[in-house]
Amino acid sequence: MDMKRDYYEDVKHFSSGVMLFWFAALMIFLLLYPFLFKNYYVYVANYIAINIIVVVGLNLLVGYTGQISLGHAGFFAIGAYGTISLMTLANFPFFPALICAGLIAACFGFLLGLPALRLEGPYLAIATLGFGLTITTIIGRIDILGGRQGLHAPDLIIMGHHLNTDRQFYYLVMAIAVLLVFFARNITKTKVGRAFVAIRDAHIAAETMGVNLVLYKTMAFALSAFYAGVAGGLFAFVLRFIEPELFGFFLSVFFLTMAVAGGLGTIAGPIAGAILLSFLDLELRNILNIPYVGEWLKALSTSYFSLTGVSNIQFIVFGAILIAIMLFEPLGLYGLWIRMKKYWMTWPF
Amino acid sequence: MIDFIQMVISGIAVGSSYALMALGMVLIYKASEVPNFVQGEMALLPVFIAYMMIYSYGYSVFIAFFGALFFAMILGCFLEFAVVRRAKNPNILGLIIVTIGLEMILLGLVSWKFGADQRIMPFPISSYSSVMIGDLYISTMDLVTLFVALAIMIVLFLFFRFSKFGVAMKATQQNPTAARLMGIRTNRVKMVTWGISATVGTVSGLLLAPVIMEPYMMWNPMLKGFAGAVVGGMTSLPGAVFGAYIVGVVEHLFGGYVSMDFKAVVAFAVIVIVLCVKPSGLFARHYVKKV
Amino acid sequence: MKKTLFAVLFGALVVFGMLSTGYCEIGVTDTEIHIGQWSPQSGPAAAWGAVARGTDAYFKWINANGGIHGRKLVHHYFDDGYNPARTIAGVKQLQEQRGMFAWVGGVGTAPGLAVKEYLMQKKIPWIGPAAGSWHWVTPPQKYLFNVYPLYLGDAQLLVEHAAKKMGKKSIAVVYQEDDYGEQGLAGTKHMLEKYNMELAAAVPVAMGDSDMRPHAMRLSRSNADAVLLFISPVAASRIIGIGKAMNYAPQWMSSSTCGDCPLMIDITQGLYEGVITSSFGMLETGEKVGDLQHINDPKHKLVAEYKKDVYGKFAARDERWGYTFVVGIGLAEPLVEAIKRAGRDLTRERLVEELEKMENFRGVLGRITYGPLDPNNPLTRIGQQELFLHQCTADGGSRILTNWIETEYIPMGH
Repeated sequence: MDMKRDYYEDVKHFSSGVMLFWFAALMIFLLLYPFLFKNYYVYVANYIAINIIVVVGLNLLVGYTGQISLGHAGFFAIGAYGTISLMTLANFPFFPALICAGLIAACFGFLLGLPALRLEGPYLAIATLGFGLTITTIIGRIDILGGRQGLHAPDLIIMGHHLNTDRQFYYLVMAIAVLLVFFARNITKTKVGRAFVAIRDAHIAAETMGVNLVLYKTMAFALSAFYAGVAGGLFAFVLRFIEPELFGFFLSVFFLTMAVAGGLGTIAGPIAGAILLSFLDLELRNILNIPYVGEWLKALSTSYFSLTGVSNIQFIVFGAILIAIMLFEPLGLYGLWIRMKKYWMTWPF
Repeated sequence: MIDFIQMVISGIAVGSSYALMALGMVLIYKASEVPNFVQGEMALLPVFIAYMMIYSYGYSVFIAFFGALFFAMILGCFLEFAVVRRAKNPNILGLIIVTIGLEMILLGLVSWKFGADQRIMPFPISSYSSVMIGDLYISTMDLVTLFVALAIMIVLFLFFRFSKFGVAMKATQQNPTAARLMGIRTNRVKMVTWGISATVGTVSGLLLAPVIMEPYMMWNPMLKGFAGAVVGGMTSLPGAVFGAYIVGVVEHLFGGYVSMDFKAVVAFAVIVIVLCVKPSGLFARHYVKKV
Repeated sequence: MKKTLFAVLFGALVVFGMLSTGYCEIGVTDTEIHIGQWSPQSGPAAAWGAVARGTDAYFKWINANGGIHGRKLVHHYFDDGYNPARTIAGVKQLQEQRGMFAWVGGVGTAPGLAVKEYLMQKKIPWIGPAAGSWHWVTPPQKYLFNVYPLYLGDAQLLVEHAAKKMGKKSIAVVYQEDDYGEQGLAGTKHMLEKYNMELAAAVPVAMGDSDMRPHAMRLSRSNADAVLLFISPVAASRIIGIGKAMNYAPQWMSSSTCGDCPLMIDITQGLYEGVITSSFGMLETGEKVGDLQHINDPKHKLVAEYKKDVYGKFAARDERWGYTFVVGIGLAEPLVEAIKRAGRDLTRERLVEELEKMENFRGVLGRITYGPLDPNNPLTRIGQQELFLHQCTADGGSRILTNWIETEYIPMGH
């Protein structure tokens, strides 16, 4: 937006005192959130925070490096299974288990990054999609991971505290989410981040300039997988029980949708996308309970459609929102925000 | 040995329905440069319309099928005209999300109207009769699918080779700007391409429906068709067909000889291997991007 | 200004007072009992949504007949799309913002396990999860009452019938790659060991796979003369169809999941004729069912009544009278019975007490028995273990082959 005059201005954490103020306000809000809202909304916040972690990581890959992934549910699954099995089988405490699981996911990300060196567009899409499907099939075959009958999460104990309410869990998830988002933002401002962007914009030019494609592409995959793995580890404790089918193709698509609809190549965009779409994902089931609208939909179903299938309206609404965002603004929610800001800044011209 | 031949035959049989989906995907990829995730649902809705025509309005099967194909044509054109074309400065990811959104809408409509109950489509040929050659069998339905797929491929080939519109399509795909300068209405060409793609997909849907109909029936063929198209190179029609047959046969051989567990996903592993050797698929020319 | 404030405050007090009079148990008021349930009404598992709609129609029917001890049952069911994250959201929202007295049904192993701990910690009774999984009773929980028979039981009955009654020499299994299929496989293996038989083939079916040709081929090469199906109705219909096309005709046998004869006959175009399936509830009434003495079973009349009144009057117009719908009714029956027995003085503890005293209760499903909680004895919470076998006939009816048989609980799992 604003003109950057030197390099240090670009890498500063907060471009101005106002930004710092808003950031502090946001942190205070996040701290107080569990006390301001009902427990249910704390759960919703946990779910959203986990999705934010995945999507911010995915955005490093898709938005910054320009690689597509339709297999992030696979990394998510690796993180979930890794965390739980390290805790139950190897008696790891929670944090080492979570980090190790994230690193395992990162290793798989690195491996997936290797074919990605030669592939792009739909070819990469199908390769990553295949990875996502295969990984759940493999997990289903491993008996020590519970096979297809699933795996129970152990109790979550951190430094002697037993976390079993949503409010306690909230602080854990939110702290990790804030930390990882901050880390992602910093990465984009470093040499690594610039290399990613260079690869996205013109990989041959980047290579000529001395950017090591092999290193940075696989690094983008590994980094993104690490995020998904950590989020998966946290998600396992939300569900308390995981089985391979939970991490199917739809989940991968959902992650990608959140990133793209939020606005690729920005940090705030995917967060907005994750907030909006995860909220819709949880809340659309109540669409039939909205006064008037619900009754009207039911009447419509009785006359033209079927009452037994009326819940599928959720799909229609969700799809319509996706299309509306993408048609109206290719940069997604972030693009809408910029446009709005511009409109008000220059108003009335 | 007999098992091997049988597996190859069955693989080709199942590959035919993948091939039709792959053809549809490639057509659209060439026109709009988007992996089309709504391909399956563009076929699903017309199939259910045919079902409704038969059961609610009492039309005969043939009329209903032609109705469905006609409807598919309109639906494809409409989706391109009303939605895809409206995307501003589309990038590939944005378009993918748009097709996913469309997919959800169409799937939602079908499930809303018809519920989740399984049904079957009436069809003149029994889905369970078969032709036996010695110990080998091929079901009649598979045979029909095979011939229909071949017929459609030939028709498409002739269409692109000899019809004015087909040539215009090819021109548009190769160089939109030049095509427009030559007086081709590229927008209209794209729209009709979507229509044709939906129609081809619907043929595949109509041939699957006599076995079982439910809102999610097109997902698996769509994914496998996509896989086949990618093996073939995503921009080559013969390549897509060949790729789809490869996917079908590999699945069956793998399921038969190695592991049934991984049968549903082995196709994707094959793709990764194929793509590592030929990054743009078997048949497409690999363009190296210039700076 | 002050006056209005006072009026508002006073009004709020009155409302609050009215709410808090009478019953202090959550979810129970003087006139209402709030019961929650989840099920997938949309998404790939939506065919199971009929369970919740069955319960819903059943509750409406009870309310139309005067409710229970002057209270109406208020049924809150929501769509979770078989996504556990959404199940948790819905359960928490209903429980914390509306206050449910108890939960009934609830489709699926993964969604159910996602909320199990939550409900148990809050000591909220949950009756009849709609999935036969040993997770519900290992270990038994004080507030969780299972109704749905374990799939191990299906396997027992089917193998026993095939091996002993029909004298089949080699038995194969086709199983879905999830908890349900794995249980069927484990149960079959267990029984075959008992009879010193070898499993001819075990063929896994991936979820959502639409091509069953290799599976059917592997079965036919195994030369099994009886094949047990632990898969979804769609997969069953495909596999039997391909079997027909390749002239492979073993005795197909299936778990209760594919036991809906009218549906199965319809989607297989009649190929399902002669298939033996286990079942834990009757579906049809009248001459279409059975030629054994069970037709005079008094509970058969109950099925007729339910079909006429519950289904006929309270189901949506496009609802199908199917097995899942009936299961929805059956899962809620013990709850309703216990509420009736608990009397006007309804609390959760009373409800649990009454459920624990329940012995040989017969609704539309098999006999249901619970006992005082014993952490080492799953039988105190397993509820129903009875199944019978029937064989589908060409007209969509069924011929009943056995009486209700009590299956044995095989401790398995991990």
